[in-house]
Amino acid sequence: MDKKKIIIAILIIGIIGVFVAYKMYNKPHINVADSKSDITLTADKIINDFSSDESKANTIYLDKIVSVSGEVSELNLEKGKGIITLKTNDDFGSVLCHLSEESTKKMSSLRKGQTISVKGICTGYLLDVILVKCEVIN
Amino acid sequence: MKTIYTIIICFLLVNVTSAQERYLTKNGSVTFFSSAIVEDIKADNNQVLSIIDATSGKMAISILMKSFMFEKALMQEHFNENYVESDKFPKATFKGVIVGFENIKDAETKVEVKGIITIHGKSKEIVIPANIKRTEGSILVNGEFNLLVADYDIEIPGVVAKNIAKKIKVTFEFNHKPYKK
Repeated sequence: MDKKKIIIAILIIGIIGVFVAYKMYNKPHINVADSKSDITLTADKIINDFSSDESKANTIYLDKIVSVSGEVSELNLEKGKGIITLKTNDDFGSVLCHLSEESTKKMSSLRKGQTISVKGICTGYLLDVILVKCEVIN
Repeated sequence: MKTIYTIIICFLLVNVTSAQERYLTKNGSVTFFSSAIVEDIKADNNQVLSIIDATSGKMAISILMKSFMFEKALMQEHFNENYVESDKFPKATFKGVIVGFENIKDAETKVEVKGIITIHGKSKEIVIPANIKRTEGSILVNGEFNLLVADYDIEIPGVVAKNIAKKIKVTFEFNHKPYKK
């Protein structure tokens, strides 16, 4: 009788273990739209932080959900995905926001020169600060 | 006579300035693919910066490791934290020269790009085969090659060694446009 109980207990633990492992393995990506942003700032501020001290800025911004506000200077479509460029006071750099599929559909309502806020995950700095999986907030 | 000289000089100046033309893309794509017994792993990066100097055929590429998007969040986490350590080494770079760039015409041409690739803080000389097509307003470069994980000091723990191929296939496509300031 006792042996049976032990076997059943082990089986249950095993099933839970497999279930947890499976869940972990299939862990979903962060949903940017539903997450609160970690940092809110202007396009000027983020480009200045990156151009003055990139490694320090990396520790602050990388992998964080950042909301950046600024003026739209370009709207592009690349491989069906929308890209919004936000103007900054830097001569070369801007903030490049690669939109999610959902937000790409909304891009047609945006105009150059408009001031908007974009929320996305910061992946770093090339010539521009790059945000991925972006959502347009307003 | 003077005006002729002026015109000639003007043409020369135009040539000099256009000769320093740079072509650039900020949305280049790099994809890698690892095919192993347990699972296939694929990641895309569409935020690659690539610059070509059209006078010398020199090419420079910069890639953000965190911009690689995986199908599974866990894979992306492991890639960034355990393998390429993207907090320590946020970028991979390539600097090199397109061999025979001056002979490239409109038609797609097979070339070799020779240079130094740096991944995970480790630099290595490499020759990458590529196809190049040069038109009026663009330089299109694409191709694929293999990388050996071991060449870049990337250690894969024994437990998951079967999940990740030792040889990673890299595919790239850059559509460079003339650079305007």
